[in-house]
Amino acid sequence: MQENERPRLQVRGISKQFPGVLANDRVSFSVAPGEIHALLGENGAGKSTLVKMIYGIMQPDEGEMFWNGQPLLVSNPKAARSRGIGMVFQHFSLFEALSVLENIALGMDGSLSMGELEKKVREVMQDYGLMLDPGRVVSSLSVGERQRIEIVRALLLKPELLIMDEPTSVLTPQEVTQLFETLRKLASEGCSILYISHKLHEIKELCDTATILRGGKVVGECNPAEETSKSMAEMMIGGSLKEISRGEDGALGDVLLKVNGLSLGRNHDFGTALADISFEVRRGEIFGVAGVAGNGQNELLEAMSGEMPAPREDAIILHGRPMGLLGPNQRRKAGLCCVPEERNGHAAIGDFSLSDNAVLTARHRKGLVKSGMVQGRAAEKYTREIISRFSVMATGPMAQAGSLSGGNLQKFIMGREILQVPEVLVVSQPTWGVDAGAAAFIHQALVDMAQAGSAIVVISQDLDELLALCETISVINEGKLSRAMPIKGVSVEELGLLMGGIHGTEETGERDRVENGAEKNGSGGIKEGKADAVQA
Amino acid sequence: MQFRLEKRAEVSRPMLYLTPVAAVIITMIVGAVIFSLLGFNGAIAVREIFLTPLTNSLKWQDLAVKSAPLIIIGVGLSIGFRANVWNIGAEGQYIAGGLAATGVALITHQMSGWWLLPLMGIAGILGGMAWVAVPAFLRVRLNVNEILTTLMLTYVAVQLLNFLVFGPWKSPFSFGQPQTVMFNDDQILPYIIPGTIVQAGAPIAILVAIFAWIMMGRSIFGFQVKTVGTAPDAARHGGFSNRQTVWITLLIGGGLAGLAGMLEVAGPFTRMVPQFPTNYGFTAIIVAFLGRLHPMGVMLAGLVLAISFVGGEVAQTTIGLPNPAVGLFQAMMLFFILAGDVLVRYRVRRVYHKKATGRDSDKKAGAEAGAS
Repeated sequence: MQENERPRLQVRGISKQFPGVLANDRVSFSVAPGEIHALLGENGAGKSTLVKMIYGIMQPDEGEMFWNGQPLLVSNPKAARSRGIGMVFQHFSLFEALSVLENIALGMDGSLSMGELEKKVREVMQDYGLMLDPGRVVSSLSVGERQRIEIVRALLLKPELLIMDEPTSVLTPQEVTQLFETLRKLASEGCSILYISHKLHEIKELCDTATILRGGKVVGECNPAEETSKSMAEMMIGGSLKEISRGEDGALGDVLLKVNGLSLGRNHDFGTALADISFEVRRGEIFGVAGVAGNGQNELLEAMSGEMPAPREDAIILHGRPMGLLGPNQRRKAGLCCVPEERNGHAAIGDFSLSDNAVLTARHRKGLVKSGMVQGRAAEKYTREIISRFSVMATGPMAQAGSLSGGNLQKFIMGREILQVPEVLVVSQPTWGVDAGAAAFIHQALVDMAQAGSAIVVISQDLDELLALCETISVINEGKLSRAMPIKGVSVEELGLLMGGIHGTEETGERDRVENGAEKNGSGGIKEGKADAVQA
Repeated sequence: MQFRLEKRAEVSRPMLYLTPVAAVIITMIVGAVIFSLLGFNGAIAVREIFLTPLTNSLKWQDLAVKSAPLIIIGVGLSIGFRANVWNIGAEGQYIAGGLAATGVALITHQMSGWWLLPLMGIAGILGGMAWVAVPAFLRVRLNVNEILTTLMLTYVAVQLLNFLVFGPWKSPFSFGQPQTVMFNDDQILPYIIPGTIVQAGAPIAILVAIFAWIMMGRSIFGFQVKTVGTAPDAARHGGFSNRQTVWITLLIGGGLAGLAGMLEVAGPFTRMVPQFPTNYGFTAIIVAFLGRLHPMGVMLAGLVLAISFVGGEVAQTTIGLPNPAVGLFQAMMLFFILAGDVLVRYRVRRVYHKKATGRDSDKKAGAEAGAS
């Protein structure tokens, strides 16, 4: 009881100023022992800054923290670890060429013989159901398995508080279920967990309390179990969520894009080869490609944009015209536009003005270059049109692209392609790192565009997004694309299995086993997630 | 307490234009100190090198003559540098251009006509382009670093020059001197301003710079070069070929260096001699950077470097400053401009060393972060 009165971690009035932005503004909250506490907020709400201060990576400008009632000073991560604070980052710091055990040994503060360490590692893995062979080389592991290394590394220190930063963004639904099991077990043993996420259904399923951040401030605290996803989302974005409005579900038109046995070798050492990819997209259709990051999404986008031309002319057919061998310019002229995942340095150039960024990809279809000369006025006019039609917050066409926030730049990029009215638009991660308001806007623009008669391919890791947007969905795994499935009637479990690399019916035994497991481990939460997404 | 470099959110515009000026001024100050320590009157040395060429109107024509090749080569290099193509062997392309023009001059030595000089000019451009085509091919096909290949080919060009003037091209009337015959009257550039030594190089340099300015500022090719240099992935996405950009920018750089070679050999030299390589190709690298890779900036920077050349000669005669001193000044200028570049993208911030329990110092550092 006494423990409950004294919170494990108490944060009081923490502020942190960055050049131009107040990342945390007098933030206060506390975490009880054994509590799974969510920090919920949009990208840029200040969640990461907050936990970096708790873990000692940054120092707060103001405010104090208390650890089991004592003032807490953490000047660096090592000090945090010695106090019993562990953290699992979104991006892992692992050496690809070393084994699991070697990676763990490198991250340990104290010295321990390899034998002892292996024993301890095996114990921890056993206790928390983290299946992993300590001898495996990291490069052969999946993202989910890599995350387990980081978790084991944190657990070896017997933490009293474990910070998890967006842990599920790279996991399949089944891996998420496993992770939640581990976290629940940890919490039941008294370890507090600070869980950072913007995925509402996960928080509803896992967390006891949620602190909601917006613009660096705490805007609310709630019990996720008592809230609906919609109510939490509205607290998170500070307004009401607009639903995607669709017209009549009209019948789909003729095939605009046909991809035919597209195979492509790896373009660099860490790339993924595309193997025999085939799909069709019809006029008015939004076709979704789900999958865990790094399974060939970037390669697929570049194959579609012409940055990596296909080996065969008929591998990509746009409205009857073979495109496979053509480069980006000719494909754009023919009506195939693309938006790559990486905004800065791929889709747009941060050091260039918005107007120049419009010239980058819209010069052919919008006539922004005449007899070799850039038509500055026409480019500015088109840029102004994008800014006003897509509500881009920018000082004008001459604003540097890099000065825009992620969401605004993404709106600009989407607007730049959509206003060219291509027959086919292929977008990768259209709302990655974008705030909910901008994401809703982009989703609506895509739906409108499809209804106006274009065909759209959305490549995304965000299953909720795909379920909300698409008519048809397929899954990419290790460069292979699953069969296309109509969104009505597809189950999240099935998608999850495909994302994890279990294909077709030849592996039914395996599939049944995992599927049953998933069912048992509370797939209800995930189903609910789907429902939420559709309703949002 | 220590200092830390912190990346700026945006490139600092004032710094962009201030750093070249500051580099020149710091070079003067440090130069004055160094030469004072060496027993010269440092202040006078700096005055003779940097001011006399400007104040003495007799030296102006020398400035025009010296700056022309620097500007022509510098403009060509700056276009490549914009695309992150690092041709540092312009000296070799300059020699190759001079040799190609000489070859044409020797073949047509018995002929006359207005067309001889344009033909030599074209030969010079093609010579420079041919010399840079090797690194361009190796870079595009085999990903060989062009910094090494362009530089190495410079020494090949020097050897080729020596072979030709000591061997097949040696004039029968030179009394054993390694040099070619003097070009005929139609093969030598006329003086365009009566009573001076100013030849066609100076107006050509101005035209080249203006043309490059328009091309880089307004044309889609200039856009392509800047895009490839700034964000290669975005350039690929925008449909700009990296290989094509490497080829074209190298050919422009080589061609302009070759043109400068022709203008020199058909101008001040009037024949090919082993002393033809005068480091214009290397100095033009400094010119390109000091001019911020902008054609108009390159024009100004070419003038500044020409001042240091002419002033070096003045200082040599008036106060007996050794000739390599000029090289020292030029090198310092490049050093300071590159060091200054750091300030364009980064700012210097003082940080306090944090102790494990140093709550106060943490607060201070935090407050400072907040203030900046």
